[in-house]
Amino acid sequence: MSSDRRRILVVDDEAQITRVLRRSLETHGYDVRVAADGESALDVFNDWPPDLVVTDLSMPGVDGIELCRRLRARSELPIIVLSVRGEEQTKVQALDAGADDYVTKPFGMDELLARIRAALRRAPAPTGSDEAVTLIEAGDFRADLAAHQITVRGEEVRLTPKEFDLLVYFLQHAGKVLTHRTLLSAIWGGNFVEQTEYLRVFVGQLRKKIEPDPSRPVYILTEPWVGYRFNSEA
Amino acid sequence: MISAMKNLRQNRAAGYASAVLGIAAVTAALAPFAGGEVINSTTVALALLLIVLFVATGWGSRPAIVAAVLGVLCFNFFFLPPTGTLTIEDPQNWIALAAFLMTAMIAGQLSSRARRRAEEAEAGRREIERLYGELRDAFERASHAEALRQSEQLKSALLDAVTHDLRTPLTSIKVSVTTLLREGQANGEVPVVFDQEARREMLEVIDEEADRLNHFIEGLVELARIEAGELQLRRRWGAVDEILVAALARAEPLVRRHRIVTEVDDELPVVRVDARAVAEVIYTLLDNAAKYSPPGTVVRVSAARAGDEMIEIAVADQGRGIAPELRERVFDKFFRVAPDTATRQPKGIGMGLAIARGIIEAHGGRIWIDDAATGQGTRVVFTLPIGDNDEP
Repeated sequence: MSSDRRRILVVDDEAQITRVLRRSLETHGYDVRVAADGESALDVFNDWPPDLVVTDLSMPGVDGIELCRRLRARSELPIIVLSVRGEEQTKVQALDAGADDYVTKPFGMDELLARIRAALRRAPAPTGSDEAVTLIEAGDFRADLAAHQITVRGEEVRLTPKEFDLLVYFLQHAGKVLTHRTLLSAIWGGNFVEQTEYLRVFVGQLRKKIEPDPSRPVYILTEPWVGYRFNSEA
Repeated sequence: MISAMKNLRQNRAAGYASAVLGIAAVTAALAPFAGGEVINSTTVALALLLIVLFVATGWGSRPAIVAAVLGVLCFNFFFLPPTGTLTIEDPQNWIALAAFLMTAMIAGQLSSRARRRAEEAEAGRREIERLYGELRDAFERASHAEALRQSEQLKSALLDAVTHDLRTPLTSIKVSVTTLLREGQANGEVPVVFDQEARREMLEVIDEEADRLNHFIEGLVELARIEAGELQLRRRWGAVDEILVAALARAEPLVRRHRIVTEVDDELPVVRVDARAVAEVIYTLLDNAAKYSPPGTVVRVSAARAGDEMIEIAVADQGRGIAPELRERVFDKFFRVAPDTATRQPKGIGMGLAIARGIIEAHGGRIWIDDAATGQGTRVVFTLPIGDNDEP
């Protein structure tokens, strides 16, 4: 029985928070271990490889950002960070360091559980060494990479090469929070990471072509001050 | 500008007047002796020269020239034979007269130049003083701005600390409550099953975190009261060991896993203090000792007389100790030493020692961190005046 359960590692230096998260996640059918700081989290990670990590950002010693970086160097597992309003910069740093998503304290358990489910559903991002993927089908989208063709809800849309690249990147990272910096670096290259206005323009164009109502987007969602999150289904 | 010119004009008039009056006075004083044995012409010339010098020093070269010319005329008229005329008999006296005139003019020039130099130096000094004043004002303004900036930084650090202390218990409460609210509802893939133990733990967390919030808010209120100087001490005569017993009883749940050793002097006098407030301080120190030292170690509480007028109370633990450079800062509000993660104790609220210091200082005592006798651990010591009946 216990081997079927997905494993979650919860990292926070506040004992009461790890205590209550452990209890709550166990109640919802997860197998949970907790750690009070980044170093002990890495120890637990080695002995007991989890399917997902939930970590606080400010901790003594190895903090949340450093933990994201070190975990990402070893594994593609989903990481959700617990942030605080007013710590936008730290949150963005954590996402840039490899975190997949964030929840702002104080959060309700429903919100965290929804993020956990979404993160666990998501397949690891394809790596360059894999066999060339030529077709991506996700939700309402179908992308033929070889033919540069995109269909949304069964209808073909015509995209410029950059719009195409951006949409394919979104499809490959559906459900994940992508920071401005990550998107700019992936589509335009490292020299453009500060040019968020490029991104805003292209996202606007893409929304006009794929969203049923571009003023109320359902696929490309804005994460204020952070970046975008892509949903493949409306 | 106009008044300066007026001043100058009045000054010059005074110069000419002094020149005329000075020469006239010397002439009038010495004229009766002219040609006699009592006084010779050199003495007269020197006395007149003195007037020229005075005028030059006081009013500059022009009044000095006037004095010199007048001096020459008077010298010639009253003292050089034939007296009473402006003619000169002896050619030698021509030379004397010319020498007098030149000496008077040169001396006048020199002394007026010296006077100008002195005035310039004075003006320079005043200018430097003015610049120095301006510079000092600028520095003051700059350091005022720096102080403001630092106080803004401090405010934002305090706000961060406060929001963290409020948000963390709120997060625990919200997670517990939203989990409990889910009971009986179907949840996506996994049905929610609660056991008695899980429900109890959630409720315990809510209870504890509500207490923590309340404790935090009480701390804020107490601190605000101390900072506003509104701490009202209710001083009564009482025994130190009673205060210790009260504090230890209250702290018992916190220090249950430590060994408490008390050392109280037999000869301790009764003290006139606010027993409740002092017990609060001892409770805070016990709470810290329990938080920052491993279970099973000794926490030593001691009370002794310190000189004629004071008593000294100390709480010492065997924990990690506090680095010497932090021993003053731990009394600042919201300053916290990172807890030892191995002990899994919840963090403090960062106000206990600040409040303790407020209470002790209000009593006229002092609180500080000492080296623990064992060389490791923390020893917090405070003194209290024994007090007398005359105090209000």
